[in-house]
Amino acid sequence: MAEAENTFRIPIGPIHPALKEPIRLSFQVEGERIVGVEIRTGFAHRGIEYMGMRRNLIQVLYLAERICGICSISHPIALTQAVEQAAGIEVPPRAQYIRVIISELERIHSHLLWAGVAAHELGFDTLLHLTWKVREKVLDILEELTGNRINYAIPIYGGVRRDIAPDQHPKVQDTIRYYRGLLDELLDTFLRDPSVEARTRGVGVLEPEEADALCAVGPTARASGLAKDVRQDRPYLAYGELGVKAITPRDWGLEPRGDVYDKIVVRLLEVGQSLDLIERALLEMPDGEITSFPKIPALLAHLKKAHGEGLGWHEAPRGEVIHYVRLEAGVEEPVVWKVKAPTYSNLMSWEPMFEGQEIADIPIIAASIDPCICCMDRVHMVRDGSEATMHKEELLRLSREKTRRITDHGSRITGLGGVR
Amino acid sequence: MKVDQVLNVLKAALGEGLAHTEVRVRRVGAKAPVELKEIWAEIDRDAIVPAVAALKALGPLHMSVISGQDAGERIELLYHIAVGYGTEGGEVMVTLRLAVPKDDARVPSICHLIPGAETTEREKIEFLGVEFVGIPDSRHVFLPDDLPVHPWRKDEPEMERFLRRMVEWEGKDG
Amino acid sequence: MSGVHLVWQAAAVMVGSGVVGLVYKGLDRKLAARMQARVGPPLRQPFLDLGKLLMKETVVPRDAVGWLFSAMPFLAAVASFTALLYLPWGPFPPILRGYGDAVLVLYLLAVPALAMALGGFASGSPLATVGGQREIVMLMSYEFPLAVALVGVVWRLRALEVGPAFSLATISANPLWTAVGPLGVFGLAILLGCLLVVTPAELSKIPFDIPEAETEIAGGLMVEYSGTYLALFYLADAVKTVAMAALVVTLFIPYGIAAPLGVKGVGGQVLDVAFFLVKVFVVMFAAVTTVRVAMARFKVDQVVRGFWLQITAAAVAGLVLLVLDKAVMG
Repeated sequence: MAEAENTFRIPIGPIHPALKEPIRLSFQVEGERIVGVEIRTGFAHRGIEYMGMRRNLIQVLYLAERICGICSISHPIALTQAVEQAAGIEVPPRAQYIRVIISELERIHSHLLWAGVAAHELGFDTLLHLTWKVREKVLDILEELTGNRINYAIPIYGGVRRDIAPDQHPKVQDTIRYYRGLLDELLDTFLRDPSVEARTRGVGVLEPEEADALCAVGPTARASGLAKDVRQDRPYLAYGELGVKAITPRDWGLEPRGDVYDKIVVRLLEVGQSLDLIERALLEMPDGEITSFPKIPALLAHLKKAHGEGLGWHEAPRGEVIHYVRLEAGVEEPVVWKVKAPTYSNLMSWEPMFEGQEIADIPIIAASIDPCICCMDRVHMVRDGSEATMHKEELLRLSREKTRRITDHGSRITGLGGVR
Repeated sequence: MKVDQVLNVLKAALGEGLAHTEVRVRRVGAKAPVELKEIWAEIDRDAIVPAVAALKALGPLHMSVISGQDAGERIELLYHIAVGYGTEGGEVMVTLRLAVPKDDARVPSICHLIPGAETTEREKIEFLGVEFVGIPDSRHVFLPDDLPVHPWRKDEPEMERFLRRMVEWEGKDG
Repeated sequence: MSGVHLVWQAAAVMVGSGVVGLVYKGLDRKLAARMQARVGPPLRQPFLDLGKLLMKETVVPRDAVGWLFSAMPFLAAVASFTALLYLPWGPFPPILRGYGDAVLVLYLLAVPALAMALGGFASGSPLATVGGQREIVMLMSYEFPLAVALVGVVWRLRALEVGPAFSLATISANPLWTAVGPLGVFGLAILLGCLLVVTPAELSKIPFDIPEAETEIAGGLMVEYSGTYLALFYLADAVKTVAMAALVVTLFIPYGIAAPLGVKGVGGQVLDVAFFLVKVFVVMFAAVTTVRVAMARFKVDQVVRGFWLQITAAAVAGLVLLVLDKAVMG
């Protein structure tokens, strides 16, 4: 760089208010303009695939659910499909519809969560609080249907664990009506607000060619105008029958530009799409069994005998999730388990999006792909500035030392804030 | 995009390099299930670049992920690639399987064809200790740079020790 | 005025404004929370915050220029408090009326911003450096419309020949709205509008909280400050909010309530002070609380463009209207 003396480095992360999860973005800036970015991930790597390859498949299912709190049904859906293909298990029609309903409800809650975060990154906290307030309703219905606000524990190999009872239908329909009424208001507040538009138009542009070359997925790719949606491209569950079309900004009457504004458009329109899907799925859901293996021991025995490999995929709120599983007869745990989360694919799209932008745009661009670091990172290690790995013993020793230092003389309010 | 079309293109492009192909059928849908075909092919190590190039010429290409396994003497890599997104039900999932011996674990990189494959190739470097020839950036993605082990290798005695030590310390926290 | 008299008056204003500043901060937070459908903190939260900060350890970073880093919080607090001594409090004229005028108040209001920027640069953190640069750029962009608004009022006042025009006591004693013609009223309204837009920028509140921008540069200028130093900046911010709102009130709405109601003596004075505080609150609520609830944060280049082009143009237009008014009214 010719003007190297004019540039300086700004570290964003691993811990930073703009990031909800740990990742390190190291920016080379010239004044307010970004001239280079270096991305370092792995701060939330927990070795989940490694753990999974040492546990039986039922345990793996629960582990998959905990890869990420926000996409806590996307990973199980992809995993169950992979295992079902590997072990040759059929899923009853009703179970397929229930999986669709829960995963679309999750999409609504995830997109609303994102909209709130995006507003916060723009410094528009009112919008954050209002979006998150209305998000409570979908969490309530998820709790009603599954027993949990997140980590629903609904899919199991061969079906689902809970049925949707007839008396729950009106509650779901209520929720749909509530959001239908609200959606126009949401679209209006986000897309017609001049200050939001001033901060998002032309910011963090991802050209369609770049999105294609970098294999971007989900709303990140769709905002650039690529009609890429796993539910449409490679139908699974009941999605083929329900008919899903990939949503791009064209559905809002705009030519896609691939900027942050377009990403808001796509995500908000997808909330509407999910509402339609839930409504139709609820109406068309056939009666019948919800699982082909009502007894867990029988399922485990079947899985132990199974030999084969399978791929399962799902369009998570953030994009394509794909799981690959290989089973061997006589072994309870999967021999291979590979998880690919959407952020894994979208990671590289960050670079062209950051280039040439301003420091002020960093948070919203970072947020625009809706990064889910825990999904992506999936050894518990903490590093200091040096290149040496800090082991846990050392860390524990340091933290105890600090505690002692504080309790000895630092805090004047012992008993309140001091640790004994 | 049709499965036969993809198969023919692969056969034409690889010739001898295509060791084995299999079309697996998946029944999809609840009320009126349809059959969805996917291709699983075994190829030679050096056939990966022409294979990806041929698929890329066929239509819009999406590189999902590379999964891998330590299969004793060899390391097996599976490239999960989808061809033809953008139309309803038009995408074909192609899985290309190749194996490399452990003492010569080198595979040509496909980053010059699909720049987006870099993350997943880098991940295989750190987890399985495979070398990708021609990859623009070979640093670690998820693991610390100085981690001495490849966690998915089954012949890593260091890994067990490493893990045991972490688990022991985990227990002492509470 | 005797020296002792001066000291106790100054002490009363300082303590009073500190308390009022913190109470208003509490009100601001509570009202903003209600508008955002939140419960919000209790009204006394700013006092609790201040108390807690004062108890915390004050850390000076290793890379910082120590003396500069430590001096700046004091400078900011002192300047904010001093500005109040030059502002009239309802019926009471400014305590230091003989020693400075409206222009000095403008300078004093700019000092905390400069102190924060210098402190940020001195802290040695790259995030604070970015914040410092932004603060200086902001300062350069909003000072001009602010000065134009002030000069407009003062110039028109001078033409009325009612006393030393730059003295805030004179400004406060002679409401302009009734003294000028229709053109002048229009011009004054424009200047008031400009001043209300400048207020959140002067106070670094959303949409102009660019130097601190939590999500971008993690608090920017303030990122390395802790404990007592942070408490001082916190207090300076609360007091500066009152000072800025009081300046707007003094320039544009200097009306009392006691005289029209016919209340005289001490009762009248108490009533007027109370009314003054209400006016200050209304200005703060209109220019700070509602604005920060209703908007997203701008980028620094957008702010500079806005202030230098649109807002300056509006302020100059207001000034021109006042000049025309003078020509018409004679």
